[in-house]
Amino acid sequence: MAVQKIVVDPVTRIEGHLRVEVEVENGVVKNAWSHGTMFRGFEQLLKGKDPRDASYVTERVCGVCTCSHGLTSALTLDQAFGAQVPEGGRLIRNLILGAIWLHDHPLHFYHLSALDYLDVMAVAQYQGNDKGLLGVKDKILKLVQMGDTSPLTPRYEPDQFCVRDPEIVLSAVSHYLKALEIQAKAKKMCAIFAGKIPHNSSMVVGGVTKYPNLQDLDNFRTLLKEVGDFVRDVYVPDVLAFGTGPLLPLAQAGVGGFGNFLAYGWFPNDKDGKDMMFKAGVVMDGQIGKTREFDSNKILEEVKYSWYEDTEALHPSKGVTRYLADKKEAYSWMKAPRYDGKPMEVGPLARMLVQQHKPVLDLVTKYKIKPGAVARHAARAVETLLLLEHVEKWLNELYELMGKGDLKIHDTEHWDPPKEASGMGLSEAPRGALGHWIEIKEQKIANYQLVVPSTWNLSPRDGKDQRGPVEEALIGAPVPDPKNPINVVRIIRSFDPCISCAVHLIEPETNEILEFRIG
Amino acid sequence: MGPIEKLAAKGVSRRDFVKLCAATTAAFGLSKVFVPQVVEAAETAVKKPAVIWLEGQDCAGCSESLLATLKPDAATLVLDVISLRYHETIMAGAGEHAEEARRKTMEEGGYVLVVEGSIPLADDRFCKIGGKSFREMLLETAKNAAAIVAVGACATYGGIPKAGPTNAAGVLDVIKDKPVINLPMCPGKPSQLVATLLYFITFKRAPELDKYGRPKVFYSNLLHDNCPRRGHFENGQFLTDWNDPSQKEWCLLMKGCKGPKTYTDCAQVWWNDGANFCINAGSPCSGCAQPEFYADFNPLYTKTEMFNLPGLGQMNVDSLGKAIGGLAAAGVAVHLAGKLITGNGSEKDSKGVGK
Repeated sequence: MAVQKIVVDPVTRIEGHLRVEVEVENGVVKNAWSHGTMFRGFEQLLKGKDPRDASYVTERVCGVCTCSHGLTSALTLDQAFGAQVPEGGRLIRNLILGAIWLHDHPLHFYHLSALDYLDVMAVAQYQGNDKGLLGVKDKILKLVQMGDTSPLTPRYEPDQFCVRDPEIVLSAVSHYLKALEIQAKAKKMCAIFAGKIPHNSSMVVGGVTKYPNLQDLDNFRTLLKEVGDFVRDVYVPDVLAFGTGPLLPLAQAGVGGFGNFLAYGWFPNDKDGKDMMFKAGVVMDGQIGKTREFDSNKILEEVKYSWYEDTEALHPSKGVTRYLADKKEAYSWMKAPRYDGKPMEVGPLARMLVQQHKPVLDLVTKYKIKPGAVARHAARAVETLLLLEHVEKWLNELYELMGKGDLKIHDTEHWDPPKEASGMGLSEAPRGALGHWIEIKEQKIANYQLVVPSTWNLSPRDGKDQRGPVEEALIGAPVPDPKNPINVVRIIRSFDPCISCAVHLIEPETNEILEFRIG
Repeated sequence: MGPIEKLAAKGVSRRDFVKLCAATTAAFGLSKVFVPQVVEAAETAVKKPAVIWLEGQDCAGCSESLLATLKPDAATLVLDVISLRYHETIMAGAGEHAEEARRKTMEEGGYVLVVEGSIPLADDRFCKIGGKSFREMLLETAKNAAAIVAVGACATYGGIPKAGPTNAAGVLDVIKDKPVINLPMCPGKPSQLVATLLYFITFKRAPELDKYGRPKVFYSNLLHDNCPRRGHFENGQFLTDWNDPSQKEWCLLMKGCKGPKTYTDCAQVWWNDGANFCINAGSPCSGCAQPEFYADFNPLYTKTEMFNLPGLGQMNVDSLGKAIGGLAAAGVAVHLAGKLITGNGSEKDSKGVGK
């Protein structure tokens, strides 16, 4: 059978604009390319600006990972300015981030992914008596009767991995609707300390701007109870029930991937950041159980297949960005970050494997799950539980701190920009390892670089022609019907791509690959 | 089927729906007598209004902001109130299915086009979707739209990308032959978008706009005039230390607040279901509702040296606290009163609205 090229553009239900091309032979993906197709130039526009603006501006890099960039930029500035964030500032930053993660992970499962695993229209066959479920069934049937089921259709045709049991589907759809409310409440929780969400204004160099009162903490706690109950009683059980039940064959199939995992670690439990909730570390070649120490000096960015002037592989602190749109062999404006020369997967699965989190390892062992789309969803759910426990703990610590009086939230001594300095901020965003680097000259930004989770995951090939992690993860994916590449989008979405963050890329027409549009 | 049954059939609780319509009329400064008209317009619509939501140079923050709505909740909005035909971040379909949904809706016509994100005028290749440039996609989709709403700072005036190398512009710089309703801010505010959509469904036209294309009901008031910290401004109490609890409600002018240059409803309508807004979180206003944001409004955290305070002329910040004595304060009060929106103008507006 001839090789067929399939183009999915736009890849929807992700953040940002993504085009993915795969070559399929005998019903299996043999090769893959991922292209981001939008460019804004954040790094360039920051040059010459007041360094303090960076946390506000980079917050706007992404409206889904909102707060992650604001935080990481603030960390970068903290280091450059020599600022020491007081305890209150650390706890409030943790609560802001914690709340937004509690919004982000359930939203990713229900609203960005679940429709790939459900035959939503199966709800019509539900014959049970559950009042709540019947209400949801009626809601969907009314849409069908009105002849307008947007945005649930059109869609790829459900395949053999789609759940069709009417009761399971109906309960999942009802949770989809409930999760819409829960993610809005988690955002509200976040806004109590963040000002508003998306796009917090509270995290600045040195700490936060929101001086809380007890009423704020009480409001946060009330919402946390509701969101936490949903995470514990609905979201996590749903993911695990799907992963170890109807989707188990998919979970055990795994497919694709290098087995290289990277985490920078984040969520400090103490003042010095020695005790992190998520640990930093590296797993190579699928050697789970052998976590190596992380060394930020081993991060280099390559540009062989990127539209930039060829340079040697550079550390982001020395990163340069000179366009070369006519570079023939290039196919992406994304650089290719590599760790110790290797492409690395980042995100929930990477974090859980790096710190050898027992509940995830137990699951993997018990059900013989391989790294793949289902494993990523499961790791995401399990780490949400871990985070939830910590958010509850940090909130209690903030109550205690306020009870003692003399709450400090900001390092006011280090508010003015230094004349010359550099800084690095490393943290974990919901989608994986996130780093910012700054160089300050004459109290202005001289250079600003971001290496974001989706650049790690969606990067193009590097100098040694190694594929990026998502490109590699697609290899071997079954696509029995080229018009219905549902497995391709399942795998891409399991990485929770955030393309706005990742793009330093455009796609000149001259380099366009011959295109066979699907459908 | 009576109206209540019809609503129940649509899956919307009557109480919530009426509340939503009442909120819309209130948002537009309309008298309560118009509530039934809004309810009826939404109820009697044979079909839910189709919406195409395009994303250009965006961050999906405006989409996330819409999903942050709790009154109405996002599920009601997305499934019961509107028919969301195309939205990259939410829709089930991908690739050709997504394009097909957009094409079909364009052929039907009469849809509302919502635009999030800026348009790179420097080079079409800076933003492509489905193999097409976003600029072409926007022109094509605007053609048969009944209304165009640009939401967020990027889609309205270019926003943060405008400060970058792509010559990022707002919708009005591309669509020259049709009216565009601008709902700026970063991100766009869900309460404004929902109210604007319902207003359009009811009255079949755009609300009254200011010179920047913004609905006057949301953007006629200077934030500074309505700021909860205004009293501290007049007393010359400016926050200099975020750690000092005695300063925590003080004026943020020294921290760069753009409130004296920014027209917005933020002081009256807080974000995230009324949870908070920037100034209440101790953060200076960045002026994200203004066309000057961000290119002409930076640096963000340095006090604005000179600004035009209505009624007082050009003022130097340092002298302001002292300058505002009893007489000047009275002047400000008179000025404020003159700017308050009265119900009269709005009621006149609604005359001639066909059913």
